[in-house]
Amino acid sequence: MKKRILAAVLATASILGTVAGCASETTSSTAPTDSSTTSSTTEDSKTDESSKEDEKKEEGKVLNIYAWNEEFKGFFEAYYQGLEYEVQDAEGNKSKTKYENAPGLKTLEGITVNWIINPSDGGVYQQKLDAALQGQADAAADDKVDLFLAEADYILKYTGSDYTMDVSTIGVETLDTQYGYTVQAASDANGKVKGVSFQCCPSALIYRRSIAKDVLGTDDPAEVQKKLGTWEDFDKVAAQAKEKGYYMTASYVETFRTFSNNTSSAWVENGALNIDAAIEQWTTQAKNYLDNCYTLPDGVWGDEKNAQMFEEGKTMCFFGPAWYFNFSMGNAQDPDKGCFGDWAITTGPQEHFWGGTWILAATGTDNGTLVADIMKAFTANEEICSKLVEEQKQFTNNMTVNQKYATDANFGNAFLGGQNDIALFVELAKGIKFEHKTVYDQLLSEKYPEYMLDYFQGKVDKDTALANFYKYVKETYADIKTP
Amino acid sequence: MGKKHKSISYAKWGYIFILPFFLVYFVCTLIPLFSTFLYSFFDYYTTQSFQTVGPNFVGFDNYIALFTPDSTGAIDLLNYTGNTLLMWVMGAVPQVLFALILALIFTGIRLRIKGQAFFKTVIYMPNLIMASAFSMLFFTLFSPVGPVNQIIEMFGGEAFRFFSDIWATRSIIAFINFLMWFGNTTILLMAGIMGIDQSLFEASSIDGATSAQTFFKITLPLLVPIIVYVLVTALIGGLQMYDVPQIMTNGKGGVDGTAKTLVMQLNNYIGGVTKNYGKAGALSAYIFIITGAMSILVFKITGNNSGKKSKKGGK
Amino acid sequence: MAKLKNLDEPAKVKNYSDFQNEKGAASLLAARIGSYVFLAFVTLLCLFSFYLLIINSTRSNAELQSGFSLLPREHFITNFMNAIKKTTFFLPQGLLNSAIIAASTAILTVYFSAMTAYGIFVYDFKGRKFADKFILLVMMIPTQVSAVGFVQLINQFKLVNTYWPLIIPAIAAPATYFYMKQYIEGALPLEVVEAARVDGSNEFRTFNTICLPMLKPALAVQMIFAFVGSWNNFFTPALVISKADLMTVPIMISIVNSDLHSQAGDLGKLYMYIFISIIPVVIVYICLSKFIIKGVTLGSVKG
Repeated sequence: MKKRILAAVLATASILGTVAGCASETTSSTAPTDSSTTSSTTEDSKTDESSKEDEKKEEGKVLNIYAWNEEFKGFFEAYYQGLEYEVQDAEGNKSKTKYENAPGLKTLEGITVNWIINPSDGGVYQQKLDAALQGQADAAADDKVDLFLAEADYILKYTGSDYTMDVSTIGVETLDTQYGYTVQAASDANGKVKGVSFQCCPSALIYRRSIAKDVLGTDDPAEVQKKLGTWEDFDKVAAQAKEKGYYMTASYVETFRTFSNNTSSAWVENGALNIDAAIEQWTTQAKNYLDNCYTLPDGVWGDEKNAQMFEEGKTMCFFGPAWYFNFSMGNAQDPDKGCFGDWAITTGPQEHFWGGTWILAATGTDNGTLVADIMKAFTANEEICSKLVEEQKQFTNNMTVNQKYATDANFGNAFLGGQNDIALFVELAKGIKFEHKTVYDQLLSEKYPEYMLDYFQGKVDKDTALANFYKYVKETYADIKTP
Repeated sequence: MGKKHKSISYAKWGYIFILPFFLVYFVCTLIPLFSTFLYSFFDYYTTQSFQTVGPNFVGFDNYIALFTPDSTGAIDLLNYTGNTLLMWVMGAVPQVLFALILALIFTGIRLRIKGQAFFKTVIYMPNLIMASAFSMLFFTLFSPVGPVNQIIEMFGGEAFRFFSDIWATRSIIAFINFLMWFGNTTILLMAGIMGIDQSLFEASSIDGATSAQTFFKITLPLLVPIIVYVLVTALIGGLQMYDVPQIMTNGKGGVDGTAKTLVMQLNNYIGGVTKNYGKAGALSAYIFIITGAMSILVFKITGNNSGKKSKKGGK
Repeated sequence: MAKLKNLDEPAKVKNYSDFQNEKGAASLLAARIGSYVFLAFVTLLCLFSFYLLIINSTRSNAELQSGFSLLPREHFITNFMNAIKKTTFFLPQGLLNSAIIAASTAILTVYFSAMTAYGIFVYDFKGRKFADKFILLVMMIPTQVSAVGFVQLINQFKLVNTYWPLIIPAIAAPATYFYMKQYIEGALPLEVVEAARVDGSNEFRTFNTICLPMLKPALAVQMIFAFVGSWNNFFTPALVISKADLMTVPIMISIVNSDLHSQAGDLGKLYMYIFISIIPVVIVYICLSKFIIKGVTLGSVKG
């Protein structure tokens, strides 16, 4: 008889999840030795044959890696662990291969690699990771976090804490082959470097060659750049594109990063929410673009936007770094409905970067040497970095390797009609700034455009949309002052 | 009911039998419940940089903050309460109507409906799908490039952005709730109809009443307690509406927060990486009080109802 | 026992149709046609979602992203193989984990709820009325109210990455208790208990071997509610489990879902996950559905 209630209870058990992270906050979490943490129990439920006494003398036998998806895992298994992986040749044929020189073939002997992958949806990844880090001191050696991944939007949260360690203490030196901003992003306030990135992520203007020809009369990157080099030009072309029945971009948030990476102040200044002039500028642009139907009211990951990447799509411009081609342009690469090769990249109106994954060493890891070796493999090992470029279409964090491909006349990316994308990325990487970042950036940058959409679509006035955004901020971050 | 035959010496068994329930309830629910309410009187939250602020006692500040109007004079909490109730009503009305019709069909013997077992089984099935999967499906269905818009365009219409429209968003959410729950309501109402004293139908038919008269004069009035019961219990569930609007609106609560529910606000306080225990505690208390008021209503109604039954069945 | 038999045959109630006037055959026919049309509509409504899920699980990622179709495609096998391929986690393992948790939850919920209801119905002890009213009261407390504290508790007891916090709370299920008590009142004459005592049966044995079998329909109904609820629960497991080999199906679905924007993203695989995850509940449901219809009816008559 009480089914409705029972079910309601079950449904609302969901709210429990909303609490997933409060694990960490049970007691004051400033102390890493906090007992309210999660990991130490896990040994009960796990059967580990290795005896614990041995591990204390040497390094641990279990390597625990926290991640939110399988991207790095794929690279790790192929190039570090030496497992079989799939490669695609220029014709799109897939074959299996193995990397014979994988460092892990030796260093991972007798070591179990554990991937602890949690969805980033709803912040589950960070909640789990935080709980594990806060329980690190109490955790059994085999349950300690050794290595974890973080993105640019929230890396400061971890580098600024004691839960990450100075990688120089385990023998990782910052090489001058790494891009400055990637080192800066991984550094704490005192300049201690807490991790490395295996990617450099300058973001380019990605355009459809066929549409550019139709609208601009050319698909040559240099020529296109001349016509899209400033925001004024960009706006002009947007109007031309519309006349021809095209969209300039497929998401009103598409250009957001070009503005948010070029701000002169941070999202939070002196504890108060701050909307930078560049963000304001974006707001004006987005309103204009939606009013004029130059773009679609869809999110940067939306289905409607993604559908625009198919051959039948009507959108000229996208913005993204090297990882974007493989990672997010699956529709464009689809053998039946895609438009492989009908793409090219150029600088666009403003230089910026997007994303990037950093490998951080967790304080208390019992696999220091191994962790250091992994970090070196993906930043300093030129053979591995070359494979990342050739086989994974990555733009690596190794200038030497990148330069090699940038100047290689035979190198080209078939997806971009044979254009040498590395050559352009090398140039773009020089202009990347990692400035005015806060620990709050991820959600603020994601939610601001979402809340402003009501205003863009004419549902509410700008002040109301802003007020709704402030409410969200207030409900999420009790420590940020809002107007 | 035969209680007189019970021997006092068995009393300890009563305690033994209910012990596990109460023990587990005490530990798993009551203690946490207590701490939640306690926090509502404290300024107590965590920050994005691994810091915990508080707990500092602040009295009723968290409650006052919840009821403080914003710059436009609106009190968000009341808006969210309104949204929650509104979307619930929009789903509950068709839910009860459908259930009533179905219950009449299933209990109307003259109709001799074939395959009743099949239909009864089927109406329950939407309940088996995860609310999140449901939401995902409907999100795709009504997306600007989804099938509903494809059909609209096929007939020469223009694609409609359902999730940029206040009432469309609310309606879709209400519809999912309706679809998931009307089977359950049907079963409850069927039970109610079958519990009606048969002699009443007998009498009415002897008096020459039509089917419609029988329904409106006998069935419906006698069903009122159970309909109200269904509604109120559903309301308690409705007040906790969360997954469907959360997923459908990506947590934002639709245009200008018009599809934002109470528990979605609670989710903002404690669902993310940072937690605001103080505010969440106060909001929980508010939800509890509203739900409590409803439950008193439930007890009144069910109390009356079972009173009648026991008289009837007290042999 | 005679009373019990009656309860088991709700069909007898149908006799009331005999008293209804036979109006014109035409109007009856119209009513019947109307009923069938309505039932067909409702059936369509209910099965449409299932149909969509099945269709979507036969389509490739690109087909799903580029539009919609009511016709199945030929990617079912591909999606299926992708879904059961071992990545960090392994779907068959997840199905097993979910089954273990859901089955334990279902059994504990119905057993202890029945036991509590039995305790309160059969025995006369001080605080009995209070215990009954108390459970009814707490049934109305929204779960989320105690959520924060519950998580802290899990951490304090170091129960993260174990199934205990997912299973043990099932012992205290107020709504199931309420239902069980309603049912026991109608289905269990105290004379039966006393007769058992005369025969020398101890109290637990009486409950287990005499009372429980009488409650079968109610147990089945509540068992499926509990099973489905636990099976579909994402959030509690998500906050307790982080190890791949302990993950339940909803957690895996959520990971596949959050992978959507990545290289590994595959909508076809996601729908296949959902499709596969629904099969066990549908099977359990269909097996127990005859009890559901019967059980809910009987339990509710007393309501």
